[in-house]
Amino acid sequence: MSKDATYEVPIGPIHPALKEPFMVKFKLDGETIVDADPHPGMNHRGIEFMGMHRNPLKVIPLAERICGICSIVHQHMYTTAVEHAAGIEPTNRARYIRTIMCELERIHSHVLWAGVAAHEIGFDTHLHFTWKIREKVMDLLEEISGNRVNYSMWTVGGVRRDIPKKMYRRDFSPKMYPKIQNTLEYYEKLYGKLEDIFLGDPSIRLRTKNIGILTEKEALELCGVGPTVRASGVKKDVRIDQPYAAYGDLELDYVIPSRYGYENTGDVFSKTLVRLKEILQSIDLIRQCVQKMPDEDIDSEPKKAALLNKLKKADGEGIGRIEAPRGEALHYVRLKEGHEELDNWKVRASTYNNLATYAPMFLGEQIADIPIIAACIDPCIGCMDRAEIVDINTGEQTSYDHEELHEMSVRKTREILGDKL
Amino acid sequence: MNNIQLPLELDEMKEYLEQKIGDGVDEIYTEEIEKGLNNTPMKLIWLKIKRDEFRKAVKTISELQVPHLSVTSGSDIGDDIELIYHFAVNYGYPGDEISINLKVHLPKEDPTISTITDIIPGAITTEREKQEFLGVEVIDIPDSRRLWLDEVFPEDKYPWRWDDKGMEDRSRYVHDEEEANDPPIVKNPRSGGDSDE
Repeated sequence: MSKDATYEVPIGPIHPALKEPFMVKFKLDGETIVDADPHPGMNHRGIEFMGMHRNPLKVIPLAERICGICSIVHQHMYTTAVEHAAGIEPTNRARYIRTIMCELERIHSHVLWAGVAAHEIGFDTHLHFTWKIREKVMDLLEEISGNRVNYSMWTVGGVRRDIPKKMYRRDFSPKMYPKIQNTLEYYEKLYGKLEDIFLGDPSIRLRTKNIGILTEKEALELCGVGPTVRASGVKKDVRIDQPYAAYGDLELDYVIPSRYGYENTGDVFSKTLVRLKEILQSIDLIRQCVQKMPDEDIDSEPKKAALLNKLKKADGEGIGRIEAPRGEALHYVRLKEGHEELDNWKVRASTYNNLATYAPMFLGEQIADIPIIAACIDPCIGCMDRAEIVDINTGEQTSYDHEELHEMSVRKTREILGDKL
Repeated sequence: MNNIQLPLELDEMKEYLEQKIGDGVDEIYTEEIEKGLNNTPMKLIWLKIKRDEFRKAVKTISELQVPHLSVTSGSDIGDDIELIYHFAVNYGYPGDEISINLKVHLPKEDPTISTITDIIPGAITTEREKQEFLGVEVIDIPDSRRLWLDEVFPEDKYPWRWDDKGMEDRSRYVHDEEEANDPPIVKNPRSGGDSDE
């Protein structure tokens, strides 16, 4: 096809799950992508603006509603930033409970992602398998916090709920937490199967190897974060680099493909590998936490009226920076003396930085690879709403909805497999 | 590039920045917050820079490592607009990462700042955001289109400003295009003193 006949394909725009639902406009030469231009902001809710008109404690529920999948991430960063700004120390037990919750959430987020990735390339059996096993960790999260999503666990100074007493087993020391241990064992047993499916299966390998490549140089220059850049061999992990909560007490190492005998290629396969290995890492971290968790209060500021008063008098700025399942994220908070509301609040979620990594990943790939590459940074655009193809030469418009685009992706898998499916 | 052996300790980093940026530094201080049972410190540097020396400061940081720019936060602080560039260096060295928070003040009569996308290409998202939310003009920005805000949002209004260029009413512009062009004057939500929704 000649160079003049480029097509523009906008894909998007909306997914209500996170602050970053967006549309990507693709320029195509035949089936090949020659340019990708992300357009976010379709669901910008002005949450920071709203936060700047509320008192610091009322912002906690608002912050956790920024994202449904990683709601822990935002409440954690926000409370840490406020604690930093006001000079409040959470108790050590609270730090450990926070860490356990963060890691449980990482397990559920990565298992969920694996299901989405399988769906995008046409393996719905794997979607149902992964989402079925995800229920176990959701149940545990519900048992600890009372909620499946939006856990409402965090507060300035600590956490609001301890790990429930009924999780203790009478004949063992209270530190054993058998329900947590059972869940971890469940995932350990199933982990081999997950790896067989996503790393061993030849047809999945064909759809993920050498697709959506992000080189180490690009990953560094575009300030990408999380598994997206670790798959390219970049050693960036806030849990290790700048430990927060209880991570400073725990033993952990960067999860990069070369640690497991693979190449740091930065393709979709490496990103899958990194996410799967992080599930194992999370299991190990929770075990370490359960063993080391001290017995003490869970909240250093139990009197909330006094705390509000303290926050009103506080004057300073603070940063909450953590490694979310999708990568580094940051909250900046400034408190001004005499002001009841936050003086300034900036929220930076992981996808914000990974947005820029789309362009190099899409370049030169095929239109049928759009769903899996779009999914590989684990963005919060799981459902691509609508795609429209415009022929620049004739002005003719063709619309593809998510179903049709998904169909194209499935067709590609079938073509690769021949008639085996 | 340089022969500095990473990772730099907090004091060394402070010294390095002071030495290299020289007179451009208005204010610099370090902070260490102890965390967890092992008292692992979280290390931060807060740095205020003169606007003219801003690019020099970013280049100084980028000489150590390809700097990680987390985000730029910004706020309206009266006569000036304050931008804070949140960098992270020493990544890849367990426990040694330092957050460098680089502050620049831009006077409201001339809220311009040079782009750093030639040094850090990933800065484009946050620079575009600052243009539309604070009315900052980023000089030589490779792509100055709007990123988050809708097309019907008025050109001369910036949601994070608290002066007359800020928002009078929070919901008005979203639904009614006609009123968006000719907004009625409603008092600034900040000046009223109501704290809650």
